[in-house]
Amino acid sequence: MEQLTNLIVSDRELVLISNTLLKLMNDTSASSVMLLDKSGQVITTQGMSTKHIATSLGALLAGAFSSSRHVAELLGEKDFRTIFQQGVHENIYTTMIEDQWLLVIVFDKLTHIGLVKVLSKKASDDLSRTLERVKADTTRQKSSVLNIQFHSSVEDTIDLLFRD
Amino acid sequence: MALINIATHEIHCKIVYYGIGYCGKTTNLQYVFKSINPSVRGEMLSIATETERTLFFDFLPLDLGTVQGFRTRFHLYTVPGQILYERTRLAVLNGADGIVFVVDSQAEKFEENVQSITELEMNLRRLGKELGNFPFVMQWNKRDMPSALPVNVLERYLNRRRVPSFEAVACSGTGVYSTLRAISKRVMAQL
Repeated sequence: MEQLTNLIVSDRELVLISNTLLKLMNDTSASSVMLLDKSGQVITTQGMSTKHIATSLGALLAGAFSSSRHVAELLGEKDFRTIFQQGVHENIYTTMIEDQWLLVIVFDKLTHIGLVKVLSKKASDDLSRTLERVKADTTRQKSSVLNIQFHSSVEDTIDLLFRD
Repeated sequence: MALINIATHEIHCKIVYYGIGYCGKTTNLQYVFKSINPSVRGEMLSIATETERTLFFDFLPLDLGTVQGFRTRFHLYTVPGQILYERTRLAVLNGADGIVFVVDSQAEKFEENVQSITELEMNLRRLGKELGNFPFVMQWNKRDMPSALPVNVLERYLNRRRVPSFEAVACSGTGVYSTLRAISKRVMAQL
């Protein structure tokens, strides 16, 4: 399985993603909905409850998901597509989209898990179509973003910040 | 796999510190955390056992600020070094953009280092990557230990690809930033 070197999300696609997440959040009465890359990077988030901890949540949830996939392998399963973490007050439902993204829904006891499962499936289908466009655009847009000036400036910044 | 978010003008890259147990991966991140400008770093997460051994990973997000209009972030991870956590290492490697292989320079650790780098190659292959064309640097850590092997011996047997390598004593910070600078630049060059 060959992996992409990078993934470029444009303005147009981010609007589509944000709209899908917002609709899912409203329809399920979730407190927060996030879209992560499988490496743990946060693509975008809706809802205030996770905004300030999004980076840490992204790393931990992607780690837990990746770990669960290896558990699946050991059991002879291809993978586990979803994880449900249940707390006293808050629950988290995480589902994988096309082996690339993780859709995370944070909700409380007033929302039924069945509703989250059904509506997240619908949202996943919409996000899959957007992901296809993102993948197609990635090659086309790369050179317009990362030019020589960018590379030179980022090297200077690395030298400036990462020093004894 | 780096994420470039044009809409929010952000670039995220993932760097993984790999190596055997007690080689100093967590120490590298801890040194960066305590010495770097606090405005650059986020909260460091460590999922460790009660005896402070890494159980899953350590995580340290670094924010370089805005570069040519793009907010650039590096996320540093370590893998658990103990042999029984091979599957966990593979899970953490998923989506990495660059790897630092931290070597414990002590003679008695030589064989373990060799096995670990072989395992890294195999794990990357399982993720569809080849170490030969992947952003990758070596760190010869624990240079202050009495049984540390000469650097030319480590280079000959552990650095067959002749990637950049750095001598280090991570607990005192020696070599920590030169290693981080090198892997960061390699990752950005690969974008």
